[in-house]
Amino acid sequence: MPADEGAVESVSGDLRVRQHPVLGDLPPTTEVTIYVDDRPIPARAGEPIAAALLAAGIRVCRTMPNRGRPRGPFCGVGRCTDCLMTVDGEPSVRTCVTPVRDGQRIVTQRGLGSWEEGTA
Amino acid sequence: MKQADVVVVGGGPAGCAAALAAAGAGARVVLVDEQPDLGGHLRWRVAPTHGLEPDLDGQPGVRVAAALAERVAAAGVEVARGSVAWGFFEDNVVGVVEGETAYTLRAASVIVATGSTDRVLPFPGWTLPGVMTARAAQLFLHVHRVLPGRRVVVVGDGPDADEVANAFAVAGAEVVARVPGVAGLQAGGDREVEEVEVDGQSYAADTVVLTLGRLPDPELALQARVETVFDAAVGAHVPRRDEHLATSQPGVYVVGEAAGAVSVAEAMAEGRLAGLAAAGAPEADIAAAREALQGLRTATSGNRALPVVNADVPMCLCRCEEVTLAAVRQAIAEGATTLDDVKRRTRAGMGICQGIFCLPAVAALLRDEAGVPAEEIVPMTARPPARAIPLSALTMLEE
Ligand SMILES: Cc1cc2nc3c(=O)[nH]c(=O)nc-3n(C[C@H](O)[C@H](O)[C@H](O)COP(=O)(O)OP(=O)(O)OC[C@H]3O[C@@H](n4cnc5c(N)ncnc54)[C@H](O)[C@@H]3O)c2cc1C
Ligand code: FES
Repeated sequence: MPADEGAVESVSGDLRVRQHPVLGDLPPTTEVTIYVDDRPIPARAGEPIAAALLAAGIRVCRTMPNRGRPRGPFCGVGRCTDCLMTVDGEPSVRTCVTPVRDGQRIVTQRGLGSWEEGTA
Repeated sequence: MKQADVVVVGGGPAGCAAALAAAGAGARVVLVDEQPDLGGHLRWRVAPTHGLEPDLDGQPGVRVAAALAERVAAAGVEVARGSVAWGFFEDNVVGVVEGETAYTLRAASVIVATGSTDRVLPFPGWTLPGVMTARAAQLFLHVHRVLPGRRVVVVGDGPDADEVANAFAVAGAEVVARVPGVAGLQAGGDREVEEVEVDGQSYAADTVVLTLGRLPDPELALQARVETVFDAAVGAHVPRRDEHLATSQPGVYVVGEAAGAVSVAEAMAEGRLAGLAAAGAPEADIAAAREALQGLRTATSGNRALPVVNADVPMCLCRCEEVTLAAVRQAIAEGATTLDDVKRRTRAGMGICQGIFCLPAVAALLRDEAGVPAEEIVPMTARPPARAIPLSALTMLEE
């Protein structure tokens, strides 16, 4: 997958659930910035990376080793391998259970990834 | 190695009830849960929860979860959140990983309350980004407060599917179609879901949510080599339990959805009974808890018997190892008759997910194409680790 195809925003508009009849208003929180394939994305402090990506309309996390098919969050609870990305240089991090951190660098992972990918 | 009287693995309603009962009976209890907060399923459910004691009855799941967490803290239970119990070893030793820290716990009794996994089934296009489990969808909507998509197809029928469809509508998404199962279903798109076809009719959609029931996930108990029995209502093998919910392994109990219980009330009643028994509470208290549980044994299972796998279409069956439906069919044609056989021949079920997302389909194929009765399809041999864990956890076991 060419780099310019990474981090495509495919579901657009505001995707935050800001009001909810049972949960109430979305509580205010500190906003941090993460970088996904070098693109700055706003995130809510403490949320998993995958949530910030979905809120930004990004749903492809990785492509598979064998045929390069894309994958995105599937189980949401750390049990599948579909949300793996390279985070701060470390490949195969489960983004659905890994919290965001200000300044974090996240790279759409190709196959099994490599330790260099994110640090380049 | 840390010692306790009772270790409870899983902090959903069943595990919380077990921990509360055991602590109430004077035991030193450690409760381990991999999520950042207690409550299990209830953490991400906003629908009212029924069948509970008056002050909790009818409350949204999220509120019941918060109330349980408070009670557990007040009862003096030691709670390890964000901590995965990844392995069960001899003498009731449980391996735990919390981030980069690893340790072991030993207790006279271990209560496994690890809940369920969402049952999923393959269909063409099911690996595309935008297809997800009901659990993922509700976590994103209610805990992380994000719409995973705007135009949603909900797959599955019954109250759980209604709850999921309603959750999306309330959060501001459009449910463009409801489909009872994966037969005739196909998702298409270049990099992610863009359209969904149901029996030849096409819908513009970006999200497909699978609400196909849940399967018991007693993996830690299986690692302890407990005996299992086939439960036809659940459509799966579950640990065999005595009248105190103890398994065939001394000191190992299994409660809640991990053993097949369906309602929250039933899961909590099971937890209470096992908690009292594990803590050696007075016989009268245990008998009362048993009686309370009997009164709840009415709910029918939300899970169904093994389904039929979608027709003859090329598709990936094991997501982790990218094993195709055709490859599994071939292995069966060549003589595979057990889940372990299929795994050895194709790698299906060998991935990080431990087979939870492909084995229901493999089991259905074994039944339909090799003629193996469902009750003879035994779970795969369970070995630690139950989750992907840092190597440091393994090295520390050897010390
Ligand atoms: C969509 C949906 C709708 C439902 N509707 C209803 C309803 O209307 N009424 C009703 O009564 N019931 C309903 N249920 C069922 C109900 O939620 C469950 O019966 C109940 O939550 C089961 O409780 P549990 O404690 O056994 O499991 P869970 O609530 O699943 O808790 C299991 C816990 O174990 C933890 N865990 C698992 N493995 C490990 C490990 N290895 N290490 C550490 N921690 C681990 C998990 O993080 C989790 O917190 C519904 C469920 C769903 C999904
Ligand atoms: S979505 Fe399955 S591991 Fe993250």
